[in-house]
Amino acid sequence: MSPQSVSFTLNGRPVTAETDRHRVFLDLLRGELGLKGPKYGCGMAQCGACSILVDGRPARACVLRAARVEGADVVTLEGLAGPDGLHPVQQAFVEAQAAQCGYCLNGMVISAVALLRANPRPSRDEIRQGMRDNLCRCGTHQEIIEAVERAAELLAAAGGTAHV
Amino acid sequence: MSETGLISVFEDRPEGRFTHVQIDGDGLATAYNGHVDLGTGVETALAQIVAEELDLPLARVAMVLGDTARTPDQGATIASETIQIAAVPLRKAAAQLRHYLAGEGARRLNAPMDGVESRDGAILWKDTAVTYAALAAGKDVAMRLDDEMPVKDPSAYRIVGTPAGRVDLPAKVQADFSYIQDLVVADMVHGHVVRPPYAGRDSGDFIGRSLISHDEAAVSGLPGFIAVVREGDFLAVVAETAHQAQRIAEALPVNWRMPPPAPDLSDLKHALKAAPSTPRALDRSGDFDRAIGECGIRLDRTYVWPYHLHGSIGPSCAVADWNGGKPIVWSGTQNPHMLRGDLGLLAGLDPEAVEIRRLQAAGCYGRNCADDVCGDALILARAIGRPVRVQLTRAQETLWEPKGAAQLMEVSGGIGGAGDLHAYALDTWYPSNRGPNLSLLLTGRISPEPRDSDMGDRTTVPPYRVPNKKITVHDMAPMVRAAWMRGVSALPNTFAHESFMDELAHEAGEDPVAFRLRHLDDPRAADLVRRTAAEAGWEERTGPRFRREGRMAYGQGFAYATYVHGTFPGKAAAAAAWVCDVTVDTLTGEVTLTRVFVGQDQGLVINPDGVRAQIHGNVMQTASRTLHEEVSFNSLAPAPQSWANYPIQTFDKLPEIRSMLIERPEEPALGVGESAAVPAAAAIANAIFDATGVRLREAPFTPGKVRAALAEAAGTPAALAPPPAAPKARKRFLGLAGGLAGMLTLGAVGIPMARSIPPQPAPAASTFSAETIERGRQVFAAGDCAVCHTAEDGIANAGGRGMETPFGTVFTTNLTPDPETGLGLWSFAAFDRAMRKGISRDGHNLYPAFPYTSFAKIDGADMQALYAYLQTLEPVKAETPAAQMVAPVNLRPVNAVWNTLFHDASGFTADPAQSAEWNRGKYLVEAAGHCSACHSPRNLMGAEATGAKALSGAVIDGWYAPALAGTATATRGWDADAFFAYLREGHAPGIASASGPMGEVVDSLTALPDADIRAMSVYLAGLAAPGTAPAPVPAEAALLPDASSRLFRAACSSCHEPGLADTLTAAQVPLGRSAAIRAPSAEGLKSVIRDGIEAPLSLPLRDMPGFGAELSEAQIDELAGYLRARYAPDLPSWNGTPAAR
Repeated sequence: MSPQSVSFTLNGRPVTAETDRHRVFLDLLRGELGLKGPKYGCGMAQCGACSILVDGRPARACVLRAARVEGADVVTLEGLAGPDGLHPVQQAFVEAQAAQCGYCLNGMVISAVALLRANPRPSRDEIRQGMRDNLCRCGTHQEIIEAVERAAELLAAAGGTAHV
Repeated sequence: MSETGLISVFEDRPEGRFTHVQIDGDGLATAYNGHVDLGTGVETALAQIVAEELDLPLARVAMVLGDTARTPDQGATIASETIQIAAVPLRKAAAQLRHYLAGEGARRLNAPMDGVESRDGAILWKDTAVTYAALAAGKDVAMRLDDEMPVKDPSAYRIVGTPAGRVDLPAKVQADFSYIQDLVVADMVHGHVVRPPYAGRDSGDFIGRSLISHDEAAVSGLPGFIAVVREGDFLAVVAETAHQAQRIAEALPVNWRMPPPAPDLSDLKHALKAAPSTPRALDRSGDFDRAIGECGIRLDRTYVWPYHLHGSIGPSCAVADWNGGKPIVWSGTQNPHMLRGDLGLLAGLDPEAVEIRRLQAAGCYGRNCADDVCGDALILARAIGRPVRVQLTRAQETLWEPKGAAQLMEVSGGIGGAGDLHAYALDTWYPSNRGPNLSLLLTGRISPEPRDSDMGDRTTVPPYRVPNKKITVHDMAPMVRAAWMRGVSALPNTFAHESFMDELAHEAGEDPVAFRLRHLDDPRAADLVRRTAAEAGWEERTGPRFRREGRMAYGQGFAYATYVHGTFPGKAAAAAAWVCDVTVDTLTGEVTLTRVFVGQDQGLVINPDGVRAQIHGNVMQTASRTLHEEVSFNSLAPAPQSWANYPIQTFDKLPEIRSMLIERPEEPALGVGESAAVPAAAAIANAIFDATGVRLREAPFTPGKVRAALAEAAGTPAALAPPPAAPKARKRFLGLAGGLAGMLTLGAVGIPMARSIPPQPAPAASTFSAETIERGRQVFAAGDCAVCHTAEDGIANAGGRGMETPFGTVFTTNLTPDPETGLGLWSFAAFDRAMRKGISRDGHNLYPAFPYTSFAKIDGADMQALYAYLQTLEPVKAETPAAQMVAPVNLRPVNAVWNTLFHDASGFTADPAQSAEWNRGKYLVEAAGHCSACHSPRNLMGAEATGAKALSGAVIDGWYAPALAGTATATRGWDADAFFAYLREGHAPGIASASGPMGEVVDSLTALPDADIRAMSVYLAGLAAPGTAPAPVPAEAALLPDASSRLFRAACSSCHEPGLADTLTAAQVPLGRSAAIRAPSAEGLKSVIRDGIEAPLSLPLRDMPGFGAELSEAQIDELAGYLRARYAPDLPSWNGTPAAR
C-alpha cells in the first residue's frame, strides 16, 4: 500500500492529505481531518450516518475511497452553516426538534439538503422515499419528515439562495 | 470554590460527598445527576426541573450526568427511572438553593422573607431586585441537602410542563458536539480488538480459553504498529491510527480453538422451554387451579418473542487512560457506577480508583457493547501506558452485543359463570441477565458459568381484576448473551396479556375495549383506556370485521399496559394505550402499520415535546421490532453482522402517529422512556386479527408468517416455498484428468520437448528508440500485462498474482528485467517464442492461462517494441511461486500436447474487405488485447472456443465476462459509441460499468490513444450484430416478499435503488441491465456479491462492499436467484425452475 496524496476542497478550504488506495474517505475525514459531522455507522453504505456532499451530490463516505475525491468539492455537516447562522435545513431540524440521540442527524441533514436541491417542494411521500436509506433507531422519523417540510419552506422563503 | 463565588447543596452518601446543584457568581447553575442521557433528551428535562425550582432561565442551567467523580451513584439509567426517581433529590436541592437565595435576597433588599419572590434568576421585592449572581458573588456556602425541603406547587410551574427545545440539539446539528465516538484525548492511540469465534456467547468452558496462538512477528513491521496485547481470549492490536490498527488486526494470524456448537435456537418455543430454568412464583391470589376448572370459556395460548438487536446506529467506543494507576475512562455507558466496579475488578483496583467520564453515545436502548469496549480500552491503556481509543466495528457490535432476549409466554385463563375474568395463569421464560462485562469473561477474571437474573418479572401481572391468579417467572441464564432492552420483559409479557384479553373478548362475544374496561378497577387506568379509545375513534366490534378492498384487508387493534418495572411486585411507570390501524396485503402477507394513536398517562409532564418524542420513538422502534426484526443464528453465533441480515423499519414505513398526553400535574412525574412501547406488539396483532381473523402469536409478523397463517386459516397449503437449490455445477471438469493423462501416453512420444534458449543479457534500454519504447508501452497496455503480472498490493509487473483456473492455481511471472527472476537474461528470440508459442526460455511449457494463443497474432514490430519496453522497467527481484495444479496438468509436458491440439501460432491476417480502422480494432482485440481469453468459453481442455462460440461469454476466475458477439450484445444497447465510452472510462451509461478484472483492463487501456479505442469499438460493434435494436430494460417482476427481498432492501437498495437518485456512491447501471444477472450462470453475480468491487482509481467508477464475510453461501445463492427473478424475468432461473416466483 504505497501512500498517495489527495487534494480536494473541504468546506471551502483546500486540503491535501495522505491516503492509500484502499482507505475510505470517512476514515480520513474523521481521522487526520478531525471532523465530527460524518459518523461511522456501518461501513457498508446501509445506514447513511456518514453522508457527505461531493460536488453537490450525496455520497456515503464509508464506501467512497479517499483517493476518489481528488479535485472534488466536499461539503460536510460542518460546512453547511453560513456566516449568518445555520443553514435553513439545520434551522428546520432545530425547529422540528428532529433528533433524539442525534447520531444519525448528520446523514439526515445532508440527505435532506440533497433531496431539497433535487426537489424543492417534495410531497410527504417523496420525503419518505427520499430519506428511506437513512436509518434512525430512536424512531425520530416523524420529526425528521416535519423538519424536511419546514426546511422546504425556509429554503423557499430564502429564495433558494441558501443552497450549498 | 469558584473564583466568582459558589453556593451549593450537597449530600453525604456512602460513596462520598456529592453536590446536587450549585450556583456561581455569574448566576449560572450546575446540577449533577448519576443517571445519563441515552439520547432521549432527559438532560433537557432534568435541566427544566432545576430551572423551575430555582426560578432560573433554562439556558442558565448546565447538567453534569454520570461522571463518577462528580455525580452520585443513582444506579443504572434503566427502567425509565430518571425523572421518576433519580430527579427527586435534584428537585429538592434546587428548591433548597432557591430558598437560601430568597433569604439572602430578602436580607439584601431589607425585605421580609415571605414578601420576596424569585423570578428569572433574581429575587424581587416591590420594585427592587437583586440577581442570583450578585447574591453568589464572593460567597462560599455549601449546604447539606434537606430531605424535607418543600418543593414548588405544580400550579406555579412556568418551565416544567412547557415544551423546551433539546439543549444539545443546536450543537449536534452543526457537528459541534462530541459524542464518545468523537472524543480525542492528547497522545491517544488506537486499539482494534480481535474477538474469538464464539461471538455473542457468555457461558461454557471454552470462554476465555480458546486462543491457541497468534503471530505478532507477522504484523509488527506494518505501518503504525505499537503492540499486540493478549490476555486469555482478549486479543487486540494497538497502532498510531484507527485505520492502521484495523489493518494490522485483520492481518494478524490467529489460531482459535473451534468452539462447540451454539444452542439450536431455530425453534425458540421449544428451545426456551427445554433449557434449564428455575420457576419463581409471583402473584398467587385466589386458587387458580380450582378456578380454571370453573371457567365456562377457557383458553390456553403460547406466545413467542424473538431475539432482537439494540442496533445502536453508532457502534460502541471508549477511550481509557491508565493515568498511573488511577484510570480515567471516557465512556458512553448506561451505568457509569456499575461499570466502575467492573473495571476495578478487571484492573485489580478499588472501584473508587477508577473514574468514568460519561459522554453521549449513539442512542442505546439497553445493555449494548458500551461497557465492554471500556474494558477493552482499559486493558490496552494499561499495557502500553498511553491513552487508547477503541472503536468497535459494526460487525463486532452486532455479533457481541447482549441481545434483547427472546421470551416464551404461556397463558391459561378463562371466564367464569358471571361472565367475568375468573382465572389467569402466566408462565414466562426470559433467558437473560445483566450482561457481564465481556473483558471480564475473555480475560478469565470471572468464571464463564451461566448466570440468571430476575428481570423476567416485569409486568407479569395483568392489570385487570382477576380473582384467581398464578403468575410464574422461569428465571434462566442466557442461551446467547442477552440483557435488557427497551420494554425489557414487560413488552413480551404484555404481548401475551393483551393478545389474550382480545382472544377472550372474542370468545365472550364482547368488544375488546369494553371487556377490558369491565375489568379495570384502577380509575386512572380506566380513564386512560376510555379516553384513548374515544379520541382515537375506536370502532366497537365483537369479532374480526374482515374489512376488505380487493386483496387488501384493514383492521384496527387496541392494547393497554401500565409498565411495571423493577423486581416483582415492581414500580409503575407511565401507562400507555394504543389504537392502531393496519393494512394486510393478503397476497404478499405484508402488514403495514398505517396509523397509531397513543394515549399516555405519565402524571406530571416535564417537557411535552420530550414526552411526545419518546412516544414517537417507541412507536416506530417497536413497530419495527414487532413486524420485521429477529436475530437469526448459525451453528456458532448470531448471524447478523450489519443491517443486511437485520432490517429495521425505514421512513417509507412510518405510520401516522398521534398522541394524547393525559396531564395530571398534581401527580408525580412518571417515566416515559418505554411505556408507549409496551402495548405495541399486542395492538398490532389485535389489528391483524380484526382485518383477517388470523391470530399471530409469534413475533415478528413477517410476510412469510402472515401468508402461512392466512393459508392455514383458508385451509390451503402455504404456497410459495422457495424452489429447491440446484446442485452445484462444476462437474464439467471431472473428466479432464483422465482425458489428458490418456493423451499424454498416446501423444508424448511424438512431440518434441522445446529446447532451452541460453541466457543472454538483454540489450540495454538505451539502445531502443523513444518511439519504439512508447509503442511498446502501448502494446503492453493493450495487453493489460500489468493486471495479471502484479500481485494484490504487490510491486508492479513483478508477477506473483495467483490465477485460479479449473486446473489449479498458476502464478504469473516477473516481467521486469531482473536477471535472476525476471526477463533480464531473455533474448528477444526467447521472449518472442514465449509470447507466440507458450514456451519459456528454459524450454518448459507455460500454462495456457498465459494467453499466448492470442499473443501469437502480435505483429513483429509490436513484439519488438514490447520487448524493448519491458527492458526499460525497473528491475525487481521476485521469484515466481510454484503453480499448484491438479495432476496431470502439473506435468508441464502435457501442455505441449495441448499446444498441438489447440494452438494456432500463425499470425494475424487482415481482411482487405474491411476498413483499416476495423482491421486495427480486430488486431488489438485478437492479438495483444486477448479479449477472447476471458470472453470466449473454453472447452474441457481449457481451450478457447472458436467459430460461432467465440466471444460468446464465459465465466473466468469466478467473474462473468459477457458475450461480445451476437444479438444478445446488441439488444443490450452496445454500439460503437457505447463500447468507446466503456473502454475509455469503464462506463457505458445505462448499459454497463466495468467490474472485477475488467476494471483493471480498462485502467490499462488508458495508455492507448483514442484512435485505438475507437478502432476496437468499431470492430466490437460489428461483432454485436449491428442493426439490432436495443431491447428495453425488462420490467421488474413483482415478487412475494421473502428473506431475500428483505435482505436486498437492507443491504443493497441504498445503492441499487437509492431514495436519492443522484447519490454519488450508488450503482451506475440499473440492475435490469446487469450482464451478471443476465448471464447463463449465477457464478459471476455471486462473485460480485461476495467480493464486492474495488474499481481502479483512474476510472470514474464506483466501489461496492463485499458481503462474503456476513452472508452465508445459501443466502448468496438465494439473493442471486432473487435478483435473476426480479430483474431478468424474461430469462429462465438458474436452477431450472420458472423465472418469476
